[in-house]
Amino acid sequence: MAKKTYDLLFKLLLIGDSGVGKTCVLFRFSDDAFNTTFISTIGIDFKIKTVELQGKKIKLQIWDTAGQERFHTITTSYYRGAMGIMLVYDITNAKSFENISKWLRNIDEHANEDVERMLLGNKCDMEDKRVVPKAKGEQIAREHGIRFFETSAKANVNIEKAFLTLAEDILRKTPVKEPNSENVDISSGGGVTGWKSKCC
Amino acid sequence: MDQSFAIQDTLEKGDTCLVAVQGILVSPYTNESRLVGLVKNRETLAIFLYKHRRMAICADDVSLDEIIPLAEGVIIQQVMPAEGFYVIGTDVTLRIKSLDIDIVMQLPFGSHTQEFLRRVNQPIQEGLPAFPSQQFVWLRKYWQRNIPSVNSLFLNNMNYEEERQLSGLDINLVSDLEADKMAMNGQWIKANERVDPSRSPQMSVRHNKTTFTDLVRSADVLSANKAEMVPFTKFGLRDNLIKSELLKNEDTYISIQNYRFFVGTYNVNGQSPRESLQTWLSQDSEPPDLYCIGFQELDLSKEAFFFNDTPKEEEWFKAVSDGLHPEAKYAKIKLIRLVGIMLLLYVKKELAVHVSEVEAETVGTGIMGRMGNKGGVAIRFRFHNTHLCIVNSHLAAHVDEFERRNQDFREICSRMQFAQADPTLSPLTIHKHDVVLWLGDLNYRLKDIELEKVKKLIDSRDYKTLHKFDQLKQQIDGKAVFEGFTEGEIMFQPTYKYDPGTDEWDTSEKCRTPAWCDRVLWKGKHITQLEYRSHMALKTSDHKPVSSLFDIGVKVVNEELYKKTFEEIVRCLDKMENDCIPSAALSQREFHFKDVKYRQLQVQTFTIHNDGQVACQFEFIRKLDEESYSKPWLRANPSKGFLTPGSSMQIELEVFVNNQTAAALNAAEEKIEDILILHLDRGKDFFLSVTGNYLHSCFGSSIQMLCYMNGYMRDTSEETITQLAQMPLQMKDNFLGAEKPAKIPKELWMMVDHLYRNASQQEDLFQQPGLMSEFEAIRDCLDSGYPESLPGSNHSVVEALLLFLEALPEPVICYQSYQKCLESIGDYSSSKEVVSMLPLHHKNVFKYLISFLQEMLNNSEKNHLDIKILASIFGNLLLRPPPDLPKPSNSDKRRCQEFVQQFLQPEDP
Repeated sequence: MAKKTYDLLFKLLLIGDSGVGKTCVLFRFSDDAFNTTFISTIGIDFKIKTVELQGKKIKLQIWDTAGQERFHTITTSYYRGAMGIMLVYDITNAKSFENISKWLRNIDEHANEDVERMLLGNKCDMEDKRVVPKAKGEQIAREHGIRFFETSAKANVNIEKAFLTLAEDILRKTPVKEPNSENVDISSGGGVTGWKSKCC
Repeated sequence: MDQSFAIQDTLEKGDTCLVAVQGILVSPYTNESRLVGLVKNRETLAIFLYKHRRMAICADDVSLDEIIPLAEGVIIQQVMPAEGFYVIGTDVTLRIKSLDIDIVMQLPFGSHTQEFLRRVNQPIQEGLPAFPSQQFVWLRKYWQRNIPSVNSLFLNNMNYEEERQLSGLDINLVSDLEADKMAMNGQWIKANERVDPSRSPQMSVRHNKTTFTDLVRSADVLSANKAEMVPFTKFGLRDNLIKSELLKNEDTYISIQNYRFFVGTYNVNGQSPRESLQTWLSQDSEPPDLYCIGFQELDLSKEAFFFNDTPKEEEWFKAVSDGLHPEAKYAKIKLIRLVGIMLLLYVKKELAVHVSEVEAETVGTGIMGRMGNKGGVAIRFRFHNTHLCIVNSHLAAHVDEFERRNQDFREICSRMQFAQADPTLSPLTIHKHDVVLWLGDLNYRLKDIELEKVKKLIDSRDYKTLHKFDQLKQQIDGKAVFEGFTEGEIMFQPTYKYDPGTDEWDTSEKCRTPAWCDRVLWKGKHITQLEYRSHMALKTSDHKPVSSLFDIGVKVVNEELYKKTFEEIVRCLDKMENDCIPSAALSQREFHFKDVKYRQLQVQTFTIHNDGQVACQFEFIRKLDEESYSKPWLRANPSKGFLTPGSSMQIELEVFVNNQTAAALNAAEEKIEDILILHLDRGKDFFLSVTGNYLHSCFGSSIQMLCYMNGYMRDTSEETITQLAQMPLQMKDNFLGAEKPAKIPKELWMMVDHLYRNASQQEDLFQQPGLMSEFEAIRDCLDSGYPESLPGSNHSVVEALLLFLEALPEPVICYQSYQKCLESIGDYSSSKEVVSMLPLHHKNVFKYLISFLQEMLNNSEKNHLDIKILASIFGNLLLRPPPDLPKPSNSDKRRCQEFVQQFLQPEDP
């Protein structure tokens, strides 16, 4: 029963245009809360969350980046070392969707080659203001061979699922040494083994 | 002018004067001029103070007055003058403190002072060597020769130092008193930093403060790449937190479930098993869940005693295994034996999966207090979520030895230690278990009662009365042993001593009194004793076996509830961990510096407040691929620091355009624009945007550009400036068509002409520093054309002229001609030849300046100037080695001066 508190540490990164809701997505996942006031992230912030996947305790360290254009050259220097990148756009903001290819290029140029990518169309609770059809998001994701979710940090739609899926995809690629499962010490000091338990 | 030559002249071979500056030694009585030199020998530095004649040129002009080694404990601090009004950017007032010197110096505004401070600060920031030490012995010759009144402490220590070297002893020479003094000095600085209200944000000298505000000296310089900064907590700590939280919340996910334990003890008197043990082990109708079986005196042979090896182990193990309840299958969990003391643990096969963390240990208390003929063995294990410890002991024998038995018990308790899976945890003792079952031949006898009476009470089955004479009961009642343990009521006759093979009491010579030697006790919650009995049917030994049947309530985990609790704890810990990420708030993140001017410091202040729950360490860090955390014209002060929760600190952002940074800004290649990364150690990064506009200045602009520029610098459009800046150095006059370029920059003309008209007879010209405020007015006038004539004193105009020449991105003698000039020295005509090859405007400027200087020399009676003085000033301004060459040596400097001197000498008739 003495289980280790975590088996793996995954570093994830949230990127995308300013105002698409990266911080809110993170806040929903880490604190299960939502804040309507918009405070632009001027810098780099992170939170941690421990999840369990396939019996393994995985610690997620999730970095939230500044989306504003003037910081792009600086924020790209944080890509290296990320094992998963969530690229977020706003389904009510066409420009944020158009910039997806630019963000994907950024990932190609600056992130680790084997980084696991995922596309999120956020604010899907605001159906009346939608300008990016879901199909377009699915299409660009398919073209680049990455997963896609429409999410809402506000209405808590698909947030946990997105993070867990990304973590699972990373886990699948991670070579894991099977940890020794806990066994009962059936020592055979006496040499009589006829009815020795075979529970290992 | 550079007076380091005069100082160099006084120095021994191997010692170098790096920089000299003339300043005022401030004292309560009188202010005296001193020449301050920074002298270097190998890796160590010292400040030399000289009394001097006006305009010192050689050693005869100066006399050494004081030496301050730059060693541990020396403090150099910029201070405000105690009285008198303070003109922004004029003098720099320095307090220099060492073990026995505490002086205040005023250094003039200017490049020499800047250079001096920079050079002094560098080693202070890198850490100073201890004093006295062998490294500073080179100073001794100066002290002895030049300063008769030198403080004896230094010399004494120096001598001592040498003695120490001879004797080879390594003694720390800094006395406690000195150490105290140093500590106090440190405090003085800190206090001063914190409260100094007079500290102006507009100081023109920017470097020296930082030395002392860097409270976090050991702060790691972190790369901007977060990827390399992952490990931020010791997860082991988290592990233990989860464990303790799980334990604390155990009630939420466990239930108590009874399991039946059979506990038996049998002193076999060294015999082999000859009869089935079923009558002992399988007497009950229901098979127990666990068996804890203990033996004593398994083997009394010498071999067993000395080599701990006996065939009896196997025999009795087999006998027990065969005697276990036939209606269940059992798994042996553990067997442990110390000489004749053996303990066996079995569990029903299907329950084995719930047994874990099995450890076994032995403690001998026999001969010498260590040997295994007496003592105890124990097995600890975890069954479901309950931790159990089973102890089998054979305590000291003989009626009167009950104290010895008590002691054996205590020995076993204190020395029985089980290793834990986590080696960082201290080992477990017997008492740290939820359940302890203690069995064995404890050897306590019946006391103060006659044999006949014992037998009579046994015959009448009055065990209650007999029990009153039991030593163990007496000792437990007296709290001398087995504290916290319980024993069930004894309803069976004493198990010792019988004639082997019979149920008869001992008939041997010794004729022992019967006793309840063999016992079972327990400690813990949820334990019910169902049976406590002896087994008369077994006759192999002189003891009868004893058994006890228990129902023990074990903590069984509900997996679902456990998972829920676990997840809740993890969530809580995640929250705690997130809350413990260092956090801070900044009062401002965007900074605009309006109308930045050459050599005019602008400062903006913001507050960093630690709004997190933990202390935080902050630092401005480099961006990827950049050498420094900011552009060269920008500095943060302090650039790193440490904040306790709730505390705040003011950080100044200082913009200062100096000679090195002016050229690129003037040529519009560079803008006042930067983003700073303020990094919290183990936390977030803030981005700070710095913007501003630079007012282009003739200072730091090229001669060429200024000649081609029609209007004043500030009226010229950025576009034109960019165009002019890209001009090649050698070019035809009709560039840009329209107007003919000026022969020399008008700004230069304005300054020189001003001096020519007003200052040729000025006493001490070129020897007194100017005022910063006046320089600023002169700069503004040159760059904007207003007012029409230059403001300020002649000295300030001279200062401006020298700065102008110093700031030229390409010196008057172009870089590419530098080497040729040095080679031409001594041959005036070839020197002239080199000058004639200069680009047109540079040649003009050179000739113009030379003729101006000659004019000045014509008035030397009034202005006290001579060729040497002027050559020493202008030599190193007009000639500068290319930036890719190392800094000029003193002999190179001297040759530059000789080069200029040639042109100043009256022409041969």
